[in-house]
Amino acid sequence: MQSDETLLHDRPGLLAQPQAAELKAENVVVRFGGLAAISEVSLTVRRHEVFGLIGPNGAGKTTLVNCLTGFQAPTSGRILLGREQTTGWSPDKFRKNGVARTFQAGRLFREMTVLENVEATAVGLGLGRRAAAERAMAMLDWIRLAAQANRIAGTLAYTDERRVGIARALILSPAFLLLDEPAAGMSDGECEDLVEWVATIPQRFDCGVLLIEHNMRVIMDVCARIHVLDGGRSLAEGSPREIQENPAVMAAYLGMEA
Amino acid sequence: MRFHRSLHGFVTPLVLIASVALITFLGVLGGDQVKTSLTEMLIRMVVVVGMWVFVGNSGVISFGHVGFMCVGAYAAAWATVDPNWKSIMLTGLPDWLQNGQYPIPFAIMGGAVLAAAVAVLLGGAIMRLSGIAASIATFAFLMIVNSVYSNWDAVTGGTSSIIGIPTVVTPWVAFTLAAGAIFVAYAFKVSRYGLMLRASREDEVAARASAINIVRVRLAAFVLSAAIVGIGGGLWAHFLGVLTADTFYLSLSFITLAMLVVGGLGSLTGAVLGVVVVTIVVEVLRALEGGIALGKITLSLPPGSQEIGLGVVLALIMIFRPSGLTRGREVLWPRRRSPMTEVSTKTATALGPGE
Repeated sequence: MQSDETLLHDRPGLLAQPQAAELKAENVVVRFGGLAAISEVSLTVRRHEVFGLIGPNGAGKTTLVNCLTGFQAPTSGRILLGREQTTGWSPDKFRKNGVARTFQAGRLFREMTVLENVEATAVGLGLGRRAAAERAMAMLDWIRLAAQANRIAGTLAYTDERRVGIARALILSPAFLLLDEPAAGMSDGECEDLVEWVATIPQRFDCGVLLIEHNMRVIMDVCARIHVLDGGRSLAEGSPREIQENPAVMAAYLGMEA
Repeated sequence: MRFHRSLHGFVTPLVLIASVALITFLGVLGGDQVKTSLTEMLIRMVVVVGMWVFVGNSGVISFGHVGFMCVGAYAAAWATVDPNWKSIMLTGLPDWLQNGQYPIPFAIMGGAVLAAAVAVLLGGAIMRLSGIAASIATFAFLMIVNSVYSNWDAVTGGTSSIIGIPTVVTPWVAFTLAAGAIFVAYAFKVSRYGLMLRASREDEVAARASAINIVRVRLAAFVLSAAIVGIGGGLWAHFLGVLTADTFYLSLSFITLAMLVVGGLGSLTGAVLGVVVVTIVVEVLRALEGGIALGKITLSLPPGSQEIGLGVVLALIMIFRPSGLTRGREVLWPRRRSPMTEVSTKTATALGPGE
């Protein structure tokens, strides 16, 4: 089991451990035509903590994650990784510099095996296939899907699919992991299991996690800080307690329910 | 154990090569007509396997690969045709090509290199396009190649043919190169680049999030693919002995794509099987067009039945088996160890004391 652990964390050879302590959005604005999807949002994700990003549908959460991972260029404002400006970085460059993400829709490589899915990222980061397969296998062992390694990914159960998506993002220890509604479509119980598991990631992998999730109870449980978006604007940021007591947030959520 | 495992990974190409060897062995026992068809089939196999390296792994359909065949064929022919003929007909060639005559293997390799070089230029421009846009760009490339090679009289002979190319390609020569192409294509598929390219075929967005530079891996496959197809072109030239630019145009593009689609784009086995199946269909129809004597009556199909028959086969495959005869799976030993055992041995290696 010990070598298992080493394989999980080890970033062999050319891949230096990413050093950045923070992933930061500064006054980010995204406009699609005349429509502002995000207006002047600033937030900071730190290593070793789970940072919650919440807000009603259409609040701009996914757009913000797209900005933080190179899939969407901000109309104005900037994204900083540590002290580095990331302007013009492609998504693969973000990943090479230690910013990993998952997708709401899972987006597994459906015709490939589970092992190949996880391996793909390791290979993308520069490992040879043998080394990539060893590390992918260790990762699958850790998420208890080793028995499914040679199964075609498109045939997995829904909850397993999500875990493979996370394993694919997590391999070779990124500095930041951005999870876009990893529990969407799961039952409350499954959601709690998954999020509890996610909460162990920062310590084990020495990384920061940004978590988008709708289930308020679980997000209040696992997040160190929470940022609330509404209609593309920052509504509030603070500890779970501060957020729960914030009148603007309560109004937004109560208003939504009314 | 180690040897066994590494061999296990190459079961697919070994089975494919052995099957093609068997077909070749049976074919050479036949008459001249059979041998000609067999050689043609094996050369097409080189071309289709080469196309598959790009099309199969990237999922981007290319209508332009026959253009690389044209480039490879002419380049090889330039190097091997009699200098006296070249000095009259191909006055635009550089001196070292016009006055020299080079060994055929070098000539064919030269064709591969030129095709690869053209692919670097073309691919650099169009690999960032995706889906249908990239496919249409490859089609435009085919038209450009055809137009250049049909009209650049001083270098290609224009619409008159290049003649007097030494015809040295026997069934076994063609087999050797087909086997080489199968081996290289499989090695590419299981390589880092192959894995990254297949990931981009499944989901471009997720592939980019997996640190994969899609343009770069596509370009690598495109260039390797063009080189293999270029070799196919060189073989073609040294099989027929005569070259015309129109040989490498729409009907050959259609038949090679049909071979890929019938077998199944998703696997190398599909590419190889598609070549064999389509060749058989075409040969049977061709024989029927020629007429078959049944007692006193001669049964014959009208001319053009070949194309119609091939079209019908293609349509049937699309309707009943849209992912091809192989459904994207590779051939393996029939009594293969179960996937579960394979996983546990892999884990054992991965976590073994050597680490």
